Amino acid sequence: MSASRDLPRAGALILILLGVSGLAAEPPSSAAPADEPADFWTGPINGPVPATLSGGAVIHAQELSELLKQGGVVLVDVSNLPHRPENLAPGAPWLPVPHRVIPGSVWVPGAGIGAIAPDIDVYFRDQLAQATRNDPDHPIVIYCHERCWLSWNGAKRAVRYGYRNVHWFPEGIEGWRAAGLDTVIAEPSTPSSGTPTP
Amino acid sequence: MGIGLLRKALSVPATSLGVCCAYDPGVLTMTTRKASILATAFCALVSLAAISRAQTTDAEDAAARAERWKALQEAIFGDRKVQDGSGVIELDVPPRALDAALVPVSLQLAGKKPIKGVYLVIDNNPSPLSAHFVFGPRADPRVLQVRVRVDEYTLMHAVAEGQDGKLYLAEKFVKAAGGCSAPAGFSEEQALQEMGRMKLRLIGDFAAGKPLQAQLMIRHPNFNGMQMNQITRFYTPARFIRSTEVTYDGSRIFHLDSDISMSTDPVIVFGFVPPARGTLKVAIQDSDDATFAHSFDVPQPPG
Repeated sequence: MSASRDLPRAGALILILLGVSGLAAEPPSSAAPADEPADFWTGPINGPVPATLSGGAVIHAQELSELLKQGGVVLVDVSNLPHRPENLAPGAPWLPVPHRVIPGSVWVPGAGIGAIAPDIDVYFRDQLAQATRNDPDHPIVIYCHERCWLSWNGAKRAVRYGYRNVHWFPEGIEGWRAAGLDTVIAEPSTPSSGTPTP
Repeated sequence: MGIGLLRKALSVPATSLGVCCAYDPGVLTMTTRKASILATAFCALVSLAAISRAQTTDAEDAAARAERWKALQEAIFGDRKVQDGSGVIELDVPPRALDAALVPVSLQLAGKKPIKGVYLVIDNNPSPLSAHFVFGPRADPRVLQVRVRVDEYTLMHAVAEGQDGKLYLAEKFVKAAGGCSAPAGFSEEQALQEMGRMKLRLIGDFAAGKPLQAQLMIRHPNFNGMQMNQITRFYTPARFIRSTEVTYDGSRIFHLDSDISMSTDPVIVFGFVPPARGTLKVAIQDSDDATFAHSFDVPQPPG
């Protein structure tokens, strides 16, 4: 093999190396996306999230709004329930605002937790199976809040369950509202609240 | 304040499971990929539509926010009139907070009216009444700064109470979310070890009878009980500062009643008027009834 034929390759290699080192030299910033963990994220719930979800797709507000207009999308909010501290002063006011979701959502608190509770795992799996009518290609959209890992975990979980058309909406309800899109008030759907009837 | 009343005024409307529509077996006619292509193609149209929709949603949001504040105001102040506080109280909050668990709030009470105290309400926090300051004879209430947690986009209200009993309102909107479930940033053991340590930094030079500012830094996790461990799924039990009394040679500068919205390791900037060299004393009580006290010389000894 002649040296002249190798030159372009070497050039490409140099460019790649330059590109890589250029990225590495980028100063870390709090706004920078996090790396995708191999497994569910079990660290702090709020913070920088990844830019991607392997096995799924990232969707943004306007695109999601269009997708929902087509109908037949399973839309799940995996935000946690607001937790009233046990040791607040007796009678201390606890007044969480009504929970707002994207119209058409089912709200399954706990489905996005890193180490999911076994009963919620079963419940979430059942809910998805029922809503998608066991079609692994049925579009599913998972969201919670901005800078919140629960939706990333929830979407990853749906991918692990075997769904092949999972969308993660990382901007969450804040991004949805910022885009000027409507919301509705929802109650949580939990194993004890029963299964929503179609 | 009647807490029962507060509850009643703000009871969350029980909605039926309006979420069932996600399960509506609508005919699935389009794959996501096709929909995405369509979405891109109609991008321009969508943006146009978004502009008009934004106006409706903003108006609805504004109405919901106004309603929430009205209910809170009635619950906290009853039928007392709350008037516009321009010229009496100013509230400064970053419109978009960098860290929702550490949102700086600055109050300026630079008017001529003698002020008795000030209430800070973070409307959409689950426990909205966040702080109530009562000033004493040694206070210079012109400047007051605290750091708070903000759970979701919200209006923030500061209400100054004049010595004449009149109420003056300032309002700001702040965009921050997740501050109430954000972790404290260190372990529980670490936090408990250092709890109650304090530092005081005087801002400006001491002169007898002249106003002086001070920055009070307190080590306390202020665990709000909403921070979940994702592996154990347990919540760190709430433990937070309930009251802070700051005096100068036995005479009050301010008393603060606070709640779970105060940030971890609170920092309070306040003004006072020392009539002579003396001792500034801070006494704190937390939700576990632990007390912490510290005395500082004014002016501070060199070094």
